[in-house]
Amino acid sequence: MKADTPTVIFLGQPNSGKSTLFNAIAGHKALTSNFPGTSYKHTHSEVNIEGRLLNVVDLPGTYSLSPSEPAEKVILSHLFQEKPDLIVNVVDASILGRSLELTLELLELGFPMIVALNMIDLAEKKGIQIDPNTLEKRLGVKVVPTVASHGRGLKELLEAAFFCLGHPCLTISPRWSGDVEEEVGRLADRLPPEIIIAGNPRFTAIKLIEADKTFCVEVLAEAAPELKSELDLAKKRIEDKRLALAYEVFSAERHHLALKLSEESSRVQRGKQLSWDERVDDIIMHPILGYAILVLIFLAFFFLIFKIGGPLEMALLGPLARLRALLSGWLGTGLLFHLADGLLQGIGGGAAIVLPYFVPLLFFMAFLEDLGYLARAGFLLDTFMHRIGLHGKSVSPFILGFGCNVPAVLSTRILESPRDRAITSLLIPFIPCSARTTIILALVAFYLGPAWALGFYFFNILLVAMIGRLLALFYKDPSPGLILEIPSLKAPSLLTMVRKTYLELKSFVKFAWPLLVGGSVVLSLLQFLALDKVLNTAFSPLVVHGLGLPKPLGITLVFGFLRKELSLIMMLQALGVEYKNLLTVISREQILVFTVFVSFFIPCLSTFAILWKESGKKIAFLSVGLSIAVAIAVSLLVRLLF
Amino acid sequence: MIRLSEAPHGRQLRIADIQGGEGVRRRLFALGFHKGDLVEVNSQGILRGPLLIKNLAADTSVALGRGIAHRIMVDVIPDEG
Repeated sequence: MKADTPTVIFLGQPNSGKSTLFNAIAGHKALTSNFPGTSYKHTHSEVNIEGRLLNVVDLPGTYSLSPSEPAEKVILSHLFQEKPDLIVNVVDASILGRSLELTLELLELGFPMIVALNMIDLAEKKGIQIDPNTLEKRLGVKVVPTVASHGRGLKELLEAAFFCLGHPCLTISPRWSGDVEEEVGRLADRLPPEIIIAGNPRFTAIKLIEADKTFCVEVLAEAAPELKSELDLAKKRIEDKRLALAYEVFSAERHHLALKLSEESSRVQRGKQLSWDERVDDIIMHPILGYAILVLIFLAFFFLIFKIGGPLEMALLGPLARLRALLSGWLGTGLLFHLADGLLQGIGGGAAIVLPYFVPLLFFMAFLEDLGYLARAGFLLDTFMHRIGLHGKSVSPFILGFGCNVPAVLSTRILESPRDRAITSLLIPFIPCSARTTIILALVAFYLGPAWALGFYFFNILLVAMIGRLLALFYKDPSPGLILEIPSLKAPSLLTMVRKTYLELKSFVKFAWPLLVGGSVVLSLLQFLALDKVLNTAFSPLVVHGLGLPKPLGITLVFGFLRKELSLIMMLQALGVEYKNLLTVISREQILVFTVFVSFFIPCLSTFAILWKESGKKIAFLSVGLSIAVAIAVSLLVRLLF
Repeated sequence: MIRLSEAPHGRQLRIADIQGGEGVRRRLFALGFHKGDLVEVNSQGILRGPLLIKNLAADTSVALGRGIAHRIMVDVIPDEG
């Protein structure tokens, strides 16, 4: 990055349309959503706008900038690192009063700023007429009305941005009520220079009073002990006068000022009649009807995925098998063939077995998310999640898990509490992903009947619930409970959905697929070196005596974690039979035991790796231990029962 | 003064107090829920599920778990006429 490239940071509350606006300006790189807090990754793009190079940064949506909340602290420290030349604060005009709270907090920072008054069309539909000029005067920064989804106001916004990059567009920190103002001023004047953050004593003073458990306060206590006691006194004076804690006082100051500004700059002409989305909401959030609709939506969701995925998989598997036959014709049975075969199976398996189901799942999820339904599903399912020690926000990682466990683990970042994140991450590997679904369909549905497959799924979900309950016992602090914003329903845009699907897919292709291919090659080599026989003998106590399965299946079970969806092919290879003749060498009961074990045993190398990366070594190994224990216990149980 | 978790649906309520831990209180404040705000209970999940709370001043909605709604105290505003 060149030093003379100005940095422009996009900041806004979740669902303010910030990423859509960023997309419209910076191209196809940012993730947008209608589920609070999904754009967890920040996006950097260097863009050329009208011949000028800009370094634009899209930070995750945030409701406030409290240094004591881990996620918000990241944003704060990022702001200071980037030293933005300009902040573009994206504001949801349809809920102006709430959105301005963050704007006021950003004004305290003192960086040059402009406000994009986004979704102004939605506000107008709600009968709210906002006068940007009044708002501009009150806030002291340029305000540009925009409709990011239609590209309205983008030109004006860019003009304002360029103007502020060329001229000083200084912001004025909002003034609080007299008593609070006095304390802030007094402390700000006395702060030693080495403590002051970003050259802004007023901002530093506010954050010191507002957040007591931060690094800054410790530094202050060390550098100037007498000032620390001054700070404590200032805090105490505010708290005694307002009969509330300091952070509450500041938050309330912003809240009331924001509401006042919103009232002053808008005219509301709302009648008594309900708008269409309120009426729709009354139905889909209804205590009884809502659940019926939820069940229908998810049935349709999975039905559609299988309707699209099934034929696609069939269509892709055929050519793959032909290509493999062709390869063996060319290369014989030597090392070269095994290497090529491993590669082919790895690449082909990902393309033919995972993608046909995963891509539609991602697309439909993006649809539900942008519509705002995923948050509503979180609300409706919260009760059930509570039974297993979690809450409604874990719903979306679980749904994602049905496609592929890897992005599901990644998406647990939306959960605030480390406890909820750990439990959800440990449960995700038990969700049957598309690879395992293929096995369940091919073995259980085909040889035991569709009812058995359905029962298998039901049992699987029950098992997830049971493990969740069990895990919750080990985490002493209870889940903090659900606090989830329910955004207004919005018509999803096709472009945004495609972009989001593409981005999620990219993380699968970049992370999970290479591991899949690697695992496949290792497996091929093992077979070539005839090490599979050695391993089969080593595992026979468990496989033959414990599970009652034929000895050659040992390697299939144990190395299933390298290539789960290959388990079926490996099983046929190991037993030396064709798929349709399977019952000649193995019984239905054995098929069931095999499927159970394969499904619950370590999901795959990629999931393990992502668990390690996201949640640490401890959780990753705990997950492995847990899955081995569950796989053995449940398959033994199945063997005894059937 | 009653608990939000026990408040009647569809009535205007004024938040009298928000109790609970700092983390939860901060998140509620950040979402624009403060003492003195007018809110309304719009729906609830089955089996003592979460409550759907609408902030009437800001026109925003949040889903709150029972445990959290239990620690928010509200006053019921009498209906006009």
